[in-house]
Amino acid sequence: MAKQRVMVVGGGLAGLAATMKLAELGVAVDLMSLVPVKRSHSVCAQGGINAVNDQTRQLGDNEWKHLDDTVYGGDFLQHQPLVHEMTLWGPKVIDLMDRLGVRFNRTSEGFIDRRRFGGTLYKRTAFAGATTGQQLLYALDEQVRRWEVDGLVTKYEYWDFLGPILDEQGVCRGCVAQDLMSMEIRSFAADAVIVATGGCGLIYGRSTMSTVCTGSAASRCFQAGAKYANAEFIQVHPTAIPGADKLRLMSESARGEGGRVWVPRKPQDPRDPNQIPEADRYYFLEQRYPTYGNLVPRDIATREIFNVCVHEGLSVETDRQCVYLDLTHIDRRELDRKLGGILEIYEKFQGVDPRDVPMKIFPAVHYSMGGLWVDYERKADGRLVAGSPKNQVTNIPGLYAIGECDYQYHGANRLGANSLLSCIFSGLFVAPGVKSWLGTVPGGAAAEQPAKLFSDAHAAQKSRQDAIFKRPTSHDNPYDLHFNLGNVMTKAATVVRYNNNLREALQVVSDLAERANRASVVDRGDWTNQNVVFAKAFEDMLPVAKSILLGALQRDECRGAHFKPDFAPPGIDATEPAEKRRQAEAWCDKFEANNRQWLKTTVATCSPDGDPVLTYEAVDTTLVPPRPRLYGLVGAEAIEEVWKERARKKNQTPPPDSVVASM
Amino acid sequence: MTRNEFIIRRLHSLSGLVPVGAYMTVHLLTNASVLDSPATFQRNVNQIHSLGSVLWVVEWLFIFLPLLFHAVLGVVIIRGGLPNVSSYPLSGNVRYSLQRASGMVAFFFIMWHVFHMHGWFHFDGYLKSVAEPLGGAQFKPYNAASSAAQALRSGAVQVLYAIGVLSCVFHLANGIWTMGITWGVWVSPAAQRRANYASIVFGVAMSIVGLGALNGMSRVDVEKARQIEDQIYDSLKGSKTPEELERDQHKRDLHRTADAEHPTAEESPTADLVLPDTVPRR
Amino acid sequence: MTASHQSPADAPRTFDVRVLRQDGPGGASYWERHRVPYEHDMNVISVLQRIAAQSRSVEGDEVAPVAWECCCLEEVCGSCTMLVNGKVRQACTALVDRLLVDEPEGIELRPMGKFPVVRDLVVERQRMFRALEKVRAWIDVDGYYDAGPGPRQSPEDQEVAYPLSQCMSCGCCLEACPQYTKVELTRDPGESDADFQARQDQTYDSAFVGAHAISQAVLFNSHPTGTYNAGKRLDALTQEGGIQICGNAQNCVAVCPKEIPLTTSIAKAGRQTTWHQLKKWFDQ
Repeated sequence: MAKQRVMVVGGGLAGLAATMKLAELGVAVDLMSLVPVKRSHSVCAQGGINAVNDQTRQLGDNEWKHLDDTVYGGDFLQHQPLVHEMTLWGPKVIDLMDRLGVRFNRTSEGFIDRRRFGGTLYKRTAFAGATTGQQLLYALDEQVRRWEVDGLVTKYEYWDFLGPILDEQGVCRGCVAQDLMSMEIRSFAADAVIVATGGCGLIYGRSTMSTVCTGSAASRCFQAGAKYANAEFIQVHPTAIPGADKLRLMSESARGEGGRVWVPRKPQDPRDPNQIPEADRYYFLEQRYPTYGNLVPRDIATREIFNVCVHEGLSVETDRQCVYLDLTHIDRRELDRKLGGILEIYEKFQGVDPRDVPMKIFPAVHYSMGGLWVDYERKADGRLVAGSPKNQVTNIPGLYAIGECDYQYHGANRLGANSLLSCIFSGLFVAPGVKSWLGTVPGGAAAEQPAKLFSDAHAAQKSRQDAIFKRPTSHDNPYDLHFNLGNVMTKAATVVRYNNNLREALQVVSDLAERANRASVVDRGDWTNQNVVFAKAFEDMLPVAKSILLGALQRDECRGAHFKPDFAPPGIDATEPAEKRRQAEAWCDKFEANNRQWLKTTVATCSPDGDPVLTYEAVDTTLVPPRPRLYGLVGAEAIEEVWKERARKKNQTPPPDSVVASM
Repeated sequence: MTRNEFIIRRLHSLSGLVPVGAYMTVHLLTNASVLDSPATFQRNVNQIHSLGSVLWVVEWLFIFLPLLFHAVLGVVIIRGGLPNVSSYPLSGNVRYSLQRASGMVAFFFIMWHVFHMHGWFHFDGYLKSVAEPLGGAQFKPYNAASSAAQALRSGAVQVLYAIGVLSCVFHLANGIWTMGITWGVWVSPAAQRRANYASIVFGVAMSIVGLGALNGMSRVDVEKARQIEDQIYDSLKGSKTPEELERDQHKRDLHRTADAEHPTAEESPTADLVLPDTVPRR
Repeated sequence: MTASHQSPADAPRTFDVRVLRQDGPGGASYWERHRVPYEHDMNVISVLQRIAAQSRSVEGDEVAPVAWECCCLEEVCGSCTMLVNGKVRQACTALVDRLLVDEPEGIELRPMGKFPVVRDLVVERQRMFRALEKVRAWIDVDGYYDAGPGPRQSPEDQEVAYPLSQCMSCGCCLEACPQYTKVELTRDPGESDADFQARQDQTYDSAFVGAHAISQAVLFNSHPTGTYNAGKRLDALTQEGGIQICGNAQNCVAVCPKEIPLTTSIAKAGRQTTWHQLKKWFDQ
């Protein structure tokens, strides 16, 4: 049999981790990326990476609690064995990254320092200044470079993944891609293709994501038959810096290090923020969530900020919405040491020193919890079968998805500093499974498949591009259409969602899809033609955009980042104890009923015309039973009480002590 | 060359300080002794020339060859760079360009200076028929101050010397600073800053010494100096052999007028360069 | 998700952008002028986005969108390096308001001059990554199986190393370096990918590695495990095109967008190579 090769598409944390691990296992890897892998979007991750550690352990933490925090934060929409496995690997992943030379911040005794992040009460987050993602990515990039020198890895940088190649049995045998410089379209034979292409923030126009995060690669798999799950779960990060081209992230670590969110009690108080006395400040997160304070999960922080600006009219400024994120009470030197990187970003783009003046921030689209549907193989004890070819595989045999572009690990809402962990974990974890797949792949090596399979795939992509070039000149261009898409998506499918808006947006996006099919490109050349590359990427955003809207429209409930006021459970407004109790009981009944209907994965398949068809799938919640997600909200104590009683009655087993993972 | 690029560049760096830079420092200090009196200067020169026939070996080995090595490699280095001060007018960058410019100026100045004062080679026939008619070989070691003063009579020559000396001094002082970075002596920005101040102090001091020497030379009373120098020479005569006395002839200024004939004409293979120079370094 | 600022009274309605374009490698370059409507909070990236959407020059001719590279837009990826008003920098942090204060005439954009132009503002920076291979900028770990934590490190060491680890290979230090000169190879007719790659690597290896790679070598030499292979990195730094080419103009540190102490790294590498060379002479 000819030598087998694996194609990894995407050179962020997940893609690089998979590449490096596959190379260690002796598998030859082709690594494809739109940009030099060192420039991947993972560099933008700022705050840190979560894992249980010796210190938190002594305070009562363990991997099970990390699992619990993660699924509670994600509103129980994750398949729990995967999350369990990830949390078990967490400490080992940090150790590995430490050995690879990541310059984590240190305690005075030389151990890795930790900070606290949202959605947990433990200091689990290891960090390297405020550029943790960059540091982790570089360490992996360096290892992959080592393998490149050794000849086991071949990089294809500045290549655009155009789609997987499936044989008649529907097995993935490679992919078609395009060189962004020479515009050459080429078919690559690959015995497995691992898609690690990140999120789809560009569907929203401006987001905290990089310009390469169009989601087009995942969409091309989706259109080729891969299932796309939980598309409607889009994380809106509570704190971002507004900008004309991008909404720049202001890391959760700013709050992790003690940053406080507030607005003046007097609407649009014209005073200098530093002159506003404590009494005139409204620390709304701290007051509503005394236990978690400024570190409530992101979806909650986002909604509270949105609410305080939009519904309570307390935005700091009159002509735009924003709240203060205040670090001025913290020592400058400490700020420089722990948050230097992100404070510089604020300073560079806003021209104001956040060490002296509170920052003005507002939520922005940040992360796609949803993505390509992937499988896994679990054992009875809730662990995964290591090395199973089913782990991380899509519904197309031989096509794998890892990192942000899969739908796992984060459920309905991701906790801060869990994404770096899920990316590296899924990258490392997929490798032995892919190797097993190579040993069992039916019908011989990819390179030995009939030439026609590859030439047909090539021809299809070639004709797609030619068709774009042949369109008559139109007054629509992909850039303007994209601008429209961003506006409609941001309006309809971010923090607060209403069915009539979603329905309208679906119509608008369908119209945009029509127009996109007629939009012409100015550049019809065959050299570094970014115009046509973007045109294709934009067209491929639309099926995913429709999946987001349709998923949101159909899901008549509130879960994590998906919030519909029309379906929000009413709060407890009674003061009389018996009535209060009755309301709480009713609330819990409703909660349970809702879970029976909606604690389901949304699974989209793409019809030939690009419209998604949705089905729903049960979620494995066998490890941590779902419970109401209240985060100690003031006024919700009655619900908490009722729920605890019910749980005791069901006689739930207490969480076992942590299990040791092996890499 | 390419295989040993590192060693060669480091030798280039070193040669700029030792021996070339060190030599220049001594040379300028010696010359400045004329400010004390022509006699002091003459005695210093005599001390150098007391090396006699090994002087030329010393000069070639420790001055000229290192200087030529430094200069030729310096040209190669300059050709490898692409100064961009207009785009990046930063102090370090300006100094980078000045280092190269001053190196080139210093090189041409030194070549001319060695010719002007010493005629490059010390074959009598060559000196008489080539060097001297072209305005070279004007320095006469046993009439040190007076001959130097005559050579520097013209204002234009003085200006050229001033430019040359300042180029040499800048090149050395700035070279010491960059050398300390190249070899890793001063590493941190603070250490580099302190070393920079020290280099500036050194450069200013050497500029004063160099320009002082130039000024002192040009203000020497030629007649008076010549008498003193002749007296000193006469006092040395007793300790010299006849051959030595004969060899000394071209080291003496026996022109009593500008157009007088040179009284001796035999060959003297000894190179006599007391001189010069400075040296480039990156 | 946010409304933009109000425009100040003196803001222009439009402004001009001159772009030095080139259709392909080795082709002739030419200037093209674009007029862009002024908006608040613009940076050079958003200007280029508007130019792409307009696809029309000042003269009204339909023109292909200007090609350029960008990715993160927050100055951590290193993609969008170009010459803005003659100075090398990241386009994303080049804010239009400030550029127009300095140069009310408009904005001038050019590709980097030290790397081969691919098209317009896109250049080929593979040489930088080759330099990272040359200096072995990685930790030679045994493997990726669990082997416990890495070595302990003092917070002081971390604070010295961390800035160096922020290098995003943007190339600003090289563009501004008078000692770093352009290397542009063209493929010979009939030359295979592999042959061309090999020839290119060889050529790159003999040219100056540049400040970024020197600093990375210093970074890894300072790591408790990385120091095991310090000798190999210093060997690389003393090969042809090594640290000896540095001319101490110190532009690198002045233009580095991440303010990495590159000249400190260079001096450290100078010291390390000095000792390394002496040791090689006297210890072996």
